[in-house]
Amino acid sequence: MFDRKGQIRIIEAFLAVGVIFSALLISFTFPASPDLAKQKSLAQVGMQALMKLDTNGTLANLVEGQDWTAIKESLDILLPIGVAFNLTVYDENRQQVNLQPIRNSNLLGHESVSVQYICATRNQVVQLFLLRLQLAWTT
Amino acid sequence: MVILALSAIVGASKVTTPYLNGLSSRDDAERFQQLASYVLLSTGTPSNWGQSSGTFPSRLGLAKENSEQNYELDIDKVTRLNSRNIYSLIYSQIWDALGATDVAFQLEVRTLFEVSIRLASNSTRGDQTSYEFEITTKKSGMPISTELCGYVAVRNFVNKTASFTSSNGIGSFTIGIPNWISGAALFLVTARAKTNPQIVSFDIYSFGHNSQTPLPNGTFTSLSPLAYVLKASFISSGTEIMSASIFTFNYNFSLAEKAAGVQSKEYTIPCILDSSPMVMVLTGHNASTSFAEWVPYPQLPLQVGMDFSQSVAGSKIVTQSHIVTINQALYEVVTKWGGTV
Repeated sequence: MFDRKGQIRIIEAFLAVGVIFSALLISFTFPASPDLAKQKSLAQVGMQALMKLDTNGTLANLVEGQDWTAIKESLDILLPIGVAFNLTVYDENRQQVNLQPIRNSNLLGHESVSVQYICATRNQVVQLFLLRLQLAWTT
Repeated sequence: MVILALSAIVGASKVTTPYLNGLSSRDDAERFQQLASYVLLSTGTPSNWGQSSGTFPSRLGLAKENSEQNYELDIDKVTRLNSRNIYSLIYSQIWDALGATDVAFQLEVRTLFEVSIRLASNSTRGDQTSYEFEITTKKSGMPISTELCGYVAVRNFVNKTASFTSSNGIGSFTIGIPNWISGAALFLVTARAKTNPQIVSFDIYSFGHNSQTPLPNGTFTSLSPLAYVLKASFISSGTEIMSASIFTFNYNFSLAEKAAGVQSKEYTIPCILDSSPMVMVLTGHNASTSFAEWVPYPQLPLQVGMDFSQSVAGSKIVTQSHIVTINQALYEVVTKWGGTV
């Protein structure tokens, strides 16, 4: 009678160990969650680049003048090497303003983050632009 | 039964330990991000610790007092991180003031792109010698198109010229120096990105004009700018200063002497409203050897803190980059964190 109970306990224990290990194995087969700190840091770098470009109204002037090459070259200098970016500029009606892409390389296949920044011209008639900057580490 | 349960616990802990360590590392990265932001966004305590050479911060912060924009750093707080400045903080003072005693860190402040000067040729015609310099402007190998301003300084002679680098990042200067002067000469180039006048950089080339190649910068004087005063400490006796000047992208002036001692001199640095690094140049001689020595203000580039290149392989180092404003010009601050205990 006691021997049978003991045998069942041993089987139970083996089952419990099996359940624990199989649960652990299953958990490791799931893909790792993205490195949130690294992504957050990249978003911060992107936001800072836009903010610094906008000091003295430079960014809004470049957008108003549709000087996309100058914006691209400025971001090339301000963003760290190894960061791919794609900037899209929208007007107040959410219509895309830049007809040519403002990017240094393709973001496809890379885990990207996106930051949004609103800039305003410093003229008598104020124009607002919404800038959406997508960023990804390529290295 | 007990053996089985214990072996299960040990096994589970062995398997999960690396994963849990990974989670804690993510917290580290977040924490390092917060620390870097704190250092760059706060003024520290006392808030004006940068300007007074006898004041040391109890809380480290590099932000400018009463600044209207984020990530604007104080020129003197940054300068005091440079070990070449006689008023600089040492690593242990910075580390104590940071308040996070369980981490090692390195802080680097530099320009956003690099300028390099190469002497391409020189030729003597009549009463002057012409020097042709090739200028390269790039960021980690990527060419940058810029506007250039070049200054040549020999003894009391100063000449200013302008040029540019095109989209391939290459430009040139041809400068003439009269042959009635001779001695150590400096060619200073300040560069400004065509797309944004706040993105600036500089480089200095030292050469001998009708004389032998000058000795390295810092051989005759130790130059330390702080609180808009330049202190020149003479390294050996018998050093005579002939001229003291300041150069920015748009302006150059002679520096007014503020005080003079036996082995040192002080000059007042004017507060120049120009998005540009300021470079001070002192020319002079010691016995028959002439010199032209220089120091930028803010005193950059600088690197302070732990040397992570000596770290154990596999140790986790978190690197962060920030764009900051110092004196209306943009610079890059790179922080490296690691070695949590």
